[in-house]
Amino acid sequence: MNSVGEACTDLKREYDQCFNRWFAEKFLKGDRSGDPCTETFRKYQRCVQKAIKEKDIPIDGVEFMGPNKDNST
Amino acid sequence: MKIWSTEHVFSYPWETVIKAAMRKYPNPMNPNVVGVDVLDRGLDEKGRLHSHRLLSTEWGLPGIVRAILGTSHTQTYVKEHSIVDPEEKKMELCSTNITLTNLISVDERLLYRPHPDNPDVTVLTQEAIITVKGVSLSSYLEGMMARRMSANARKGWDAIEWIIQNSERENVPLCDIY
Repeated sequence: MNSVGEACTDLKREYDQCFNRWFAEKFLKGDRSGDPCTETFRKYQRCVQKAIKEKDIPIDGVEFMGPNKDNST
Repeated sequence: MKIWSTEHVFSYPWETVIKAAMRKYPNPMNPNVVGVDVLDRGLDEKGRLHSHRLLSTEWGLPGIVRAILGTSHTQTYVKEHSIVDPEEKKMELCSTNITLTNLISVDERLLYRPHPDNPDVTVLTQEAIITVKGVSLSSYLEGMMARRMSANARKGWDAIEWIIQNSERENVPLCDIY
């Protein structure tokens, strides 16, 4: 599957592989021991955000949660 | 405004269906989805996994419909928010289009849960609200979109089954005797 930003497809695939493994083998089994994909995700996310701006995709207003964000409401 | 809803049962346990749902694209049944990106992802204070994704899709609408809607654009973007609750065994996805919003809005919700009477199978409840704006024949077009969604929903179920079966094939041991 391609990324919405063509240049981001390889980063996307690397992140997806990491995430799918973590999701199946850790998250769904109740293992909360840290997220091994943070660095891969950061690189991928930077690329996607650039592509979104370039293509003028109206995606503002997404509440970015992030694992390290403080979500006190 | 057209409201459409449907229910489908997968003969697989919830975890298996969820893993497939997370890896749904690409698949041969939904060639209309041409790009998927994760915009953000994280756990909330209850340990539920939230994901915000951007999907780009090719409508494949017939030319006459595009003419009525007055657009030559064929690619649209959809934003999707999903929540996976591994304790309650619920996966909920909500999506809405973020382009062509002056013409049409399609809000869709999917919920995957174990079947209340049989924990080895999974129920998918799917519903959508479709509104075509500011055009005559709007209820006709809404009806058509609902029929298209029905057809696509069926393809979506086939896609999940396909993903599950293809993953299972990879895990079959060499010398398993039934």
